[in-house]
Amino acid sequence: MLDKMNPLGRERQMLVITLHINGQLHECSIRPELTLLELLRREIGFLGTKNACNSSHCGACTVLLNGRAVYACTTLAAQVDQKSVITIEGISCDQDLHPLQKSFAKLGGVQCGFCTPGMIMAAKDLLDNNPDPTEFEIKEAISGNLCRCTGYTKIVEAVADAAEEMRVKKSLEKEGV
Amino acid sequence: MALRVVGDSYPRLEAVRKINGTAKYTDDYTLPNMVYAMVKRSPYSHAKVISIDKTESEKVPGVLKILLPQDVPQRLYNSAVITQSPVFIEDQTILTDHPLFMGDRIAAVAATSEIACQEALDKLVIEYEILKPVFDVLEAMKEDADLLHPDLFDSNVFYKKELKRGDIDQGFAESDYIFEDEFSVPTVQNISLEPNGCICNYSDGGKLTIISTSQSPFKDKRLLARLLEMRENDIRVIKPIMGGGFGERQQIHNQPVAAIFSKELGRPVKIINSREEQMYGSTVRHSAKMKLKIGVSREGYLKAMLVDNYLNSGAYANVAGIVVNISLAFTNYKIPHFLGRGYAIYTNHVPGGAMRGFGNPQATFAREVMFEKIAKALQLDPVDFRRKNHVNSGDKIPGSEKTVFSCAMEECIVEAEQIRKNIDLGANQKKPESNHIKEAWGVAFGCHPSGAGTIADASGCLIMINSDGTVSLLTGSADIGQGSETILSQIAAEGLGIDLNDITIIAADTEITPYETGTVASSQAYRAGNAVTQAVEDCIHKTKERLARLYSVDGKEIGFAKGRFTLNSGRKNFDMDLKEVMEMLTLKTGYEIITGSSNYKPADDPLSFVVCWAKVAVDERAKSVQVKHIIQAVDVGQPINPDVVEGQIHGGISMGLGYALTEEIEIDRITKKVLSSDLLHYNTPLALDMPAIHTHIVTSYESTGPFGAKSVGELPTPPVAPAIVNAIYNATGTYMTAIPITHTYYPKGSNS
Repeated sequence: MLDKMNPLGRERQMLVITLHINGQLHECSIRPELTLLELLRREIGFLGTKNACNSSHCGACTVLLNGRAVYACTTLAAQVDQKSVITIEGISCDQDLHPLQKSFAKLGGVQCGFCTPGMIMAAKDLLDNNPDPTEFEIKEAISGNLCRCTGYTKIVEAVADAAEEMRVKKSLEKEGV
Repeated sequence: MALRVVGDSYPRLEAVRKINGTAKYTDDYTLPNMVYAMVKRSPYSHAKVISIDKTESEKVPGVLKILLPQDVPQRLYNSAVITQSPVFIEDQTILTDHPLFMGDRIAAVAATSEIACQEALDKLVIEYEILKPVFDVLEAMKEDADLLHPDLFDSNVFYKKELKRGDIDQGFAESDYIFEDEFSVPTVQNISLEPNGCICNYSDGGKLTIISTSQSPFKDKRLLARLLEMRENDIRVIKPIMGGGFGERQQIHNQPVAAIFSKELGRPVKIINSREEQMYGSTVRHSAKMKLKIGVSREGYLKAMLVDNYLNSGAYANVAGIVVNISLAFTNYKIPHFLGRGYAIYTNHVPGGAMRGFGNPQATFAREVMFEKIAKALQLDPVDFRRKNHVNSGDKIPGSEKTVFSCAMEECIVEAEQIRKNIDLGANQKKPESNHIKEAWGVAFGCHPSGAGTIADASGCLIMINSDGTVSLLTGSADIGQGSETILSQIAAEGLGIDLNDITIIAADTEITPYETGTVASSQAYRAGNAVTQAVEDCIHKTKERLARLYSVDGKEIGFAKGRFTLNSGRKNFDMDLKEVMEMLTLKTGYEIITGSSNYKPADDPLSFVVCWAKVAVDERAKSVQVKHIIQAVDVGQPINPDVVEGQIHGGISMGLGYALTEEIEIDRITKKVLSSDLLHYNTPLALDMPAIHTHIVTSYESTGPFGAKSVGELPTPPVAPAIVNAIYNATGTYMTAIPITHTYYPKGSNS
């Protein structure tokens, strides 16, 4: 588990962790204080996850950790050893955009786009666990994510629209269509 | 006119990149050999640096260079403009040993990693003499107040403006009733979600290339050339995808520091602000104290209005002079006798800069809250009172010599009223839970110009038509998230009769796109849009000329309508769209190339208009306010992209909501330091805080705009706070002259 690397010239204990990011296995040698956000953006290069406050106040860095939304900026990389992380880059399937992504684009849920990856991940956590949320539940689920451009109205509409599309898709699948 | 592309809600051109994580913002760029830098900012609101010891900092492994005030040019500059004039004061330096606000830049460190930068910053030993700061404008105006810039001014009041129409004394003499009040609005932050960032690259030793969050790349280039004593042509500013702006990136931020480091190190240097630096190290909306005196006739006609606006510019001037002017200029009512006096005042608060509304949110708050009181006193309906005094097409507002051409205010009033009635009908059964909860509506009107309409305004556009009839559209317009690239492409597609996906837009790169003043003053739809329509006209004119030559006819015989070039001249005739024309011109008959260009200089800055209603429920026992509904009906001319317009209204409303209810950059009274240093201590609205929003875009047409368009960006924000405060007044009788309302009430989310 130990490795040596010295960003500040000091002998440092390094941790070796293994984790799945978007389904792919990664083995990383990390400084103990490295955050998941730094691991994703700096060490590996998943730039879709954004850094806007680095103190878990805004949600721009939201990713899924074992399926649940977390702030990557205040999650230590060491905590995700042996776990699975999904980022915005990992939610499209087979080149096809996720229903949330489609609805965000179609319904104007995207303006400057800086909150969008985190917002979509928070919404994905909601819809994966609650396929038919009320408007209040949607607002509640994304109230850890700050957006300064949209006033949230079109984001809430987009999440509701995606939920409906996902429900329809699921029921068609059930019926074997 | 039947429109094909304009008027349709196309998704943003870059939407897919923004939803799949591939959109590249400043911090997403890593250049070969790149290093990092960070800035040491003053921890005190007013101090003098006695000494700086950098010995320990230099020992931190990875540290490459440390800059202290004496290491950088001490030339004074204005972060927003390059012209030295009474309006634009040059009063700040890149690094200072006399910090005038908490957040002022003192030193900077470049290192191979951000960790090393931080460690070196922490190890700088700085000795300060702590001085007494002043934050309140009225305090700073006193004769015995300490001066912030004694070398420049013998008073902290560094700019005054007087705007006069008619004779104010005569106006008050003719008035039956006179009302007087004082108002106060807070310092607030833009809170663009992406922090300010820049990468300056001078590693080839010849050209300084900058990738940065910027609303006005061409201005940045000129400003930096002067500051760094470089040729403008040796600087290239590229605006990548940007996470908001709202005015704040009209000011340059850390570019000079990063550029000096890059020049000295020969490596690209990246500086990204932390959120804490964003909170108080970047510019804010000016807080203001405002005194109003209004005279009216018995019938409710405005006779005279006297306005005194005291704007808190913080430690530096930036754009404060123009903000003062705007705070006086846009009163959208007919007032025969008007006197506006504005003052920009230095204090040790965070420096003010451009922010959505630019003087208008302050002025609109004071005026519209006072109008509510006047209407009540005269027992007039608040809408009727405003309506009978409002300007119409053909009128002039008191602050401008220009005539208003398009004004669909009556439609805005009617549509907003209809929405309001429908809401109340739907809510009929739902009575407030108990009798200590009181519900009421409040209204406010507003206007905002499309562009600054000043002599400094200009926009150019280049259109290159490719051989397959597709188009490369080059514009200096900076899309900061509002959607200007999409709407400018729609305008070009409409004009040329091609599809939106036939347009490739290249924008806001000072080396390859034509000049554009910048994304300031709600100007892009109107000014950059007009530049596009003029370049389109140039393309069509040239295409006709070439066709005429080819067919040996007069150019006037060739028609162009609905995207088709036609000729009906005896035996010579054709009917082709642009693709067919280009295939013939470029490939089949003589290799003709068509490019169009424009140099648009706005002759006007037409006003957009808004009617805003807010419905609140006030719990008098808990002293809480819940905003339940906000309605806005707007006249923005022909919307180029209705969804984009609606998105601007929604965002503008949420910013106005925060202004009214919760937002304020607070200074601790004991420590004299900024308290609001993170997003936890500065409450911007979240999804659960939002009321139900209802918008309506009325049918309108501005003949000087591209396809009839006016602008929308800043318009929705100013009327929100007064509408909410008026609603509280109507519900409770409590007349509030200051925001945020947290001083009096506890704001309650929309769903709690």
